[in-house]
Amino acid sequence: MDLHRNRKFVYVGLLSLVAIVYLVKIFQLQIIDNQYEQKAINNALNKIPIYPDRSIIYDRNGKLLVHNIAIYDLVVFPSKTKDIDTAAFCEIMGITGTEYHKFMQTAKENSKKRQKNNVFNGSAVFMSNLSKDQYSAVQENLYRFPGFSVEPKTDRLYAVKGGAHILGYLGEASKKLLAKDPYYRPGDLVGVTGIENTYEAYIRGVKGVKTVWQDRTYTERGEAKDNEFNSPAQAGPDFYSSIDFDLQEFGESLLANKRGSVIAIEPSTGEILALINKPDYDPNLLVGESRAKSFRQLLIDPKKPLYNRAIKGVYPPGSTFKTVMALIGCQEGVLKQATLHGCSGGYHLGSLTVGCHPHGSPTDLKGSIGISCNAYYCQVFRDIIDNPKYQNVKSGYAALEKHLHSFGLGNKLGVDLPGENKGNVPSIKQLDKRHGKNWKSSMIISLAIGQGEILLTPIQMANCAATIANKGWFITPHLVKGIGSNKYLPDEYKKKHFASVGELYYDWIIDGMEMVTKPGGTAFGTGINDIVICAKTGTAQNPHGEDHSLYIAFAPRDKPKIAIAVIVENGGYGATWAAPIANLMIENYLNRGKEPQRPDMLDRIKTSTVY
Amino acid sequence: MSRTYSSREENPVLDTIAVWLYVLLVLIGLISIYSATSEVNQTFQFTFSSVAGRQLIWIGGAIIIILTIAFANVAIIDYFAYGFYGFAIFLNIAVLFLGKEVSGAKSWFGFGGFGIQPSEFAKVATALAIAKYLGTYGIRFKGTRNVVITLLLFLLPMLLILAQNDTGSALVFLSFFLVLYREGLPGWILLSAVWLLIIAIARIVMEATGISHLWTMSILSTITGIIIYFGRKNKQLIIATLVVAASSAIFSIAVGFAYTKILKGYQRDRIELVLNLKQDTRNMGYNLEQSRIAIGAGQFVGRGFLKGTQTKMGFVPEQHTDFIFCTIGEEWGFAGVLVFFGLYFGLLYRLISLAERQSTAFGRVLGYGVICILFFHLAINIGMTIGIVPVIGIPLPFISFGGSSLWAFTLLLFLFLKVDEKRR
Repeated sequence: MDLHRNRKFVYVGLLSLVAIVYLVKIFQLQIIDNQYEQKAINNALNKIPIYPDRSIIYDRNGKLLVHNIAIYDLVVFPSKTKDIDTAAFCEIMGITGTEYHKFMQTAKENSKKRQKNNVFNGSAVFMSNLSKDQYSAVQENLYRFPGFSVEPKTDRLYAVKGGAHILGYLGEASKKLLAKDPYYRPGDLVGVTGIENTYEAYIRGVKGVKTVWQDRTYTERGEAKDNEFNSPAQAGPDFYSSIDFDLQEFGESLLANKRGSVIAIEPSTGEILALINKPDYDPNLLVGESRAKSFRQLLIDPKKPLYNRAIKGVYPPGSTFKTVMALIGCQEGVLKQATLHGCSGGYHLGSLTVGCHPHGSPTDLKGSIGISCNAYYCQVFRDIIDNPKYQNVKSGYAALEKHLHSFGLGNKLGVDLPGENKGNVPSIKQLDKRHGKNWKSSMIISLAIGQGEILLTPIQMANCAATIANKGWFITPHLVKGIGSNKYLPDEYKKKHFASVGELYYDWIIDGMEMVTKPGGTAFGTGINDIVICAKTGTAQNPHGEDHSLYIAFAPRDKPKIAIAVIVENGGYGATWAAPIANLMIENYLNRGKEPQRPDMLDRIKTSTVY
Repeated sequence: MSRTYSSREENPVLDTIAVWLYVLLVLIGLISIYSATSEVNQTFQFTFSSVAGRQLIWIGGAIIIILTIAFANVAIIDYFAYGFYGFAIFLNIAVLFLGKEVSGAKSWFGFGGFGIQPSEFAKVATALAIAKYLGTYGIRFKGTRNVVITLLLFLLPMLLILAQNDTGSALVFLSFFLVLYREGLPGWILLSAVWLLIIAIARIVMEATGISHLWTMSILSTITGIIIYFGRKNKQLIIATLVVAASSAIFSIAVGFAYTKILKGYQRDRIELVLNLKQDTRNMGYNLEQSRIAIGAGQFVGRGFLKGTQTKMGFVPEQHTDFIFCTIGEEWGFAGVLVFFGLYFGLLYRLISLAERQSTAFGRVLGYGVICILFFHLAINIGMTIGIVPVIGIPLPFISFGGSSLWAFTLLLFLFLKVDEKRR
């Protein structure tokens, strides 16, 4: 008896209805809505950065300066840290609960930022640079803290104690950098200053990527091979610096307990052989766990050990400036080798007097440099800018200004260090402001002897010495000798820049410079017997205290190998401190391996304190 | 075999189409379990201690069950139907005292590493018992006594399983209402059930969004008013309408009460998630989202065998048991789903035609028992993974990992196929 045979159609209909409804829904999920595949990949694929070693840095002779050490960061997936025993965690890591929440908050913010540029990894650094104790403690206990993992990175290890301002230091990538360059993630170490900063793009190498499968608990479940994202890390290429580190160290020992700068340049190449600032710091302070703490201390140190005065400090060049002034005078045709100017204890013009020390009068060009006559250069200066070939003093001054710029003065040289100062070659506008529209040469006469508005950086002074050594050209001073196996050198450090003073005149000035360390010269008694040193002393008036002791030099006279500028702040006469320091360094560099000729002078300099 | 069966003896085997569909589904299940529990892109590895290995052992057991049934005398099925039912009821009572608790439900007997879930076998036993009862000469699904006995036959195990705190398995017994429709259960009862379901959903939506009962009442009164106005000549209609309206109102209030006062928080969550009343990216909402991501990620051709990261990496919960469909969706895509639906619904349609060719009420009721139980599981299980049914933890028959469910469904299917083979 089957009374309801037709009801089978209801079953067929019901089944079909469900099948169709479900298929439509599945069709919508799988075909129409295409967000899910990406979501699935985002869930399971984690891109883990592999940190490359930074470049190893050598000096010009292949001496190792900086290498690397592995450090470890504690990384967290903030979304995965539910039910963590915070108290136990804090105890193991040696942090307070407040710190834990602070770190976690930062990590949360950072992980969100990261998800924008790397959707595959929602992790962020929780604590960087674990100490050995923290590292071993956390490794053992990692299983208790889901969401946390340890990632290796590299930090710097310095083989030397000096050269801090050349090498620079690493620091965590700033917010600004993170916003600008998606290569970096929060917590990454980047070069903040020095070579590390300038050549960051080379030195950092190329981060690699390891993609791994990760499960719901963020546990790694094997490497995702043959993946478009995978790439090995590439270490930064070997970096050869132009520094002669023996010379650098020697110079640092000379400048110890003084305030000032030394820059030595190889004139023919523009390679910086030594770049010394005092006070400075031991680069080993700014690595590892103590980085942040040391940095804060250095930052507030009243001695300003972080200050790179060689490229940032500006000083009136004083009498060293006479060399350049003489060259310009020659080029302008107002000065000849035999030009004589008298000096009666100074330069007098009406009520104006520029004082000078007692010396024989009159002097010729050579003598004016050798004994550093102020009156001579006041006359030369006026001859240059009051030259009748120019309609007025301003066009005369404009010609002078142009010449000065051609020596790399008043502009950034383009040294491969961040934060270079351009110094100051006063513009006409500046002079108008200072002296009123109708100034005369006499009103700005102190420029003649490197005083007044003229300000140079130590490296600009060294570059002047190099330019004179080269007789009319220079290559922008630089700290790089070559990058990588093919010794890559940026083109800008191969290019000669010509000063607007012709080659013809340099020997006249160099004659005078040679006389400086000879009898009758301002630095007599500081010379080195077998080396022909061409130099110029300077004593820069300092309104804030004792005069600065200045000295520029190059040697030997033929085929110069080294040009140097020394400034010892508050050191008084150029001959007192700057000259012996420079000459000792020249000796060290040129007479490498020989006994020092002036042990007495060496000892005096090394052991003296000048502030 | 006696000669009286000679006219049917040309085809003395179990229905070939149904058997083949069963074999294919079980194999799909095995492959899916293997994939769901392996690492991404791993090379083929197989041990009997792995999840897939254990499933293979269960399949071996299922083959023994099938062979036993194939070679047994069909009369035994009929003969032992009540005995089997009694035994199943006994086991389901015993498990309340002797069972071990697994995720809140006390529905398992543990034997060393293996467990047996008597509720799975209660489905088979109940289907047999109801078939036997309604197949008894002179008994039809009519008259208070018959109806009450029939209802008791499946409400009893349902209550026992509810007592085990295994709501999902208990709900499966509601599918017997669907079986009874074929045997004469008035259609209006099922329609009322649908109507009540609509009322319940509406009330829950209002409950969750904070709309008071007054609204339900005003809407009901308006509809009632309109019907009475247009049907004012028809006294019967007016009475029927008033009855429906009154009972709906009472039901609605009861649902509101049950929803807020009786249901547990997680149960409310599950319902609200499906009704899209709740945005929850953690816990259950997270699971559902992951399940949708898994299936959605399959796109048309799927991500490929062993490449479904959603299921393998633990993003989808219970990926080799209740959420096994995610693996199929993720790795084989819409194409795979079409094939799978083809096979599964093919089996169900085939079973309808087999049930319809039964000459006895016993065979027919048993057939519809099989169909409705399988269909209920399929609809709930897949509906859950794609997010149109609340999460109810019941397996996908033949596909999900698990010995009890595989054996129970195999037993259920092949008992019917055996009955079908020997149909007169």
